[in-house]
Amino acid sequence: MNKSKQFKALVQAIFAAMVVGGLASTLYSAEPTSATPPAKVDSASSQTNFVEMNAGSSDTNRVVVKSQLTGAELYSIHCNRCHAERYPTERTAAQWKTIMLHMQVRANIPVSQARLILQYLQENSGR
Amino acid sequence: MKSRRLMSGLAAVGCAVGVALPTRVAAAVSDADFKALKDLVQQMNGKLQSLEQTNELDQQTIQQLQKQLGETQQTAADAEQKSIAAAQAQTQPLPRVPIDEATVNHNFQILGDAEFQYVKATGQNGSFLLADFAPIFLYRGGDNILFEAGFDTTIANNAPTSSGYTTTFNLSFAQLDYVMNDYMTLCAGELLIPLGTYTERGAGWLNKFPDDPLAVDLVPGSGVGVELRGAVPLGNAGKFINYSVYAVNGPSSADGTGNADALDLGGNVGARSDGVVANLHGNPAGGARLGFFVPFKPHCDLELGISGQSGEWDNGGTHLWSAGVFDAALHLGPNFEAKGEYIISRYGSDDLGQINQEGWFMQAGYKLAGLNLELPIINDMEIVGRYDSLHDGLGTRTQRYTAGYIYYITNTLLFEGDYEFLHSTDPTQVNQLILQLSYGF
Repeated sequence: MNKSKQFKALVQAIFAAMVVGGLASTLYSAEPTSATPPAKVDSASSQTNFVEMNAGSSDTNRVVVKSQLTGAELYSIHCNRCHAERYPTERTAAQWKTIMLHMQVRANIPVSQARLILQYLQENSGR
Repeated sequence: MKSRRLMSGLAAVGCAVGVALPTRVAAAVSDADFKALKDLVQQMNGKLQSLEQTNELDQQTIQQLQKQLGETQQTAADAEQKSIAAAQAQTQPLPRVPIDEATVNHNFQILGDAEFQYVKATGQNGSFLLADFAPIFLYRGGDNILFEAGFDTTIANNAPTSSGYTTTFNLSFAQLDYVMNDYMTLCAGELLIPLGTYTERGAGWLNKFPDDPLAVDLVPGSGVGVELRGAVPLGNAGKFINYSVYAVNGPSSADGTGNADALDLGGNVGARSDGVVANLHGNPAGGARLGFFVPFKPHCDLELGISGQSGEWDNGGTHLWSAGVFDAALHLGPNFEAKGEYIISRYGSDDLGQINQEGWFMQAGYKLAGLNLELPIINDMEIVGRYDSLHDGLGTRTQRYTAGYIYYITNTLLFEGDYEFLHSTDPTQVNQLILQLSYGF
């Protein structure tokens, strides 16, 4: 086997190891998606919007159902698709409005989700 | 108080002397003694008056001092109140100042990126290759209108044919976006063409590698035309489908013929160099992309897309150019990303018949922060790898393996290094090392 083939094999091995390692690392650290309902979450303190549904007369039977992602969660989901997340304090509220319109068009983000992201960015913006 | 007591005492003594002495010693006191005593009493009266005046002055001084003391105490109390108010103001968040209305409704922004490269190719001299500045201008008018334009400024040697260098200033895209409603946006101008996602969302600073994948050369990056695009949410968990439908002038012939090597993917902008305004062939090309995005949780998502474009390309309008792209992007946590595209294109020609082109790439990156090693340099590094394959349909086949790293100096200032290992039927394609400093703003 000549040097070029050895190098090619090495690159392929590294590439395969990265894919497998990344998958394994992520699956190992991933949150379990249990079928059992999650513990009661205080909707006021949670970072996610929750709607509490009364599944029974007792408080112990109340089920918490995640109804809608917050702007912070959508920000984490969408920004990281193409680039490292930018800090909300990097721009002013008016600047974020322009940038989010650009991102909404460029990344084809639903308008309803873009609004929530914009609200999150403006509330935490650098004025 | 002492002076008052003293005066009272002297008065009492004087009276006592005046009353007692004449009755008891009248017969024995001579006129001289009486006169002396009288003088003494008068002197004491004078001293008494002087002391009374001094007492009045002292009283006035005391009143002034008491008044000044009161004023000083009031000043101190006021200062204390102001100090408390200032301390409270510092501990409380500043009230949010309303943004100027003009700033809200109209806003101008500059985004973009800049790159600087060093390249050492096998058999060639190492060189500082590239200084690239690519600003994006954004002007928002109101809530629904955005004009955006991207430029690319680079320099290149005039050697070996002449001296000096040439600066190029290219318009990458320039489009007007109008958000018609929550599900549809109209775009018009020089558009980034959504054949796959690389051109729109992967080029420049967004690319984890210093150069483009080989296969993206099979499709045009931009075109002049109109486009409708948008996204429709599926439920409240973040899933959605997105679409783009567009019409552009499309590819053209560089020399007007239908020969295979005359295909020009990006030159048909509607205005010719001789002043004639026209599409270089009879009809515009049409294309579309449909994508599906599903997030599992933040930083963990999958997007799949399929896109295509077709239209005539030669001046005679006798040959079609068509392309199809399948794209996929996967994020598994904040540290792992994989994406790739498979691209095919077909076009007819006068001299070689139908040309079939094919290419694909797959790339992955893993941020070593995921290893939790708590080592400063390691934590800021991402290891990347890419595989490229290209068959241009004209006899050249190329495979490229790329391994490299990204060192995040900040979240927007990146130092990248890659080594590219090429297998190609084109002898000019050689292995190379590329180092790049890139900054996104």
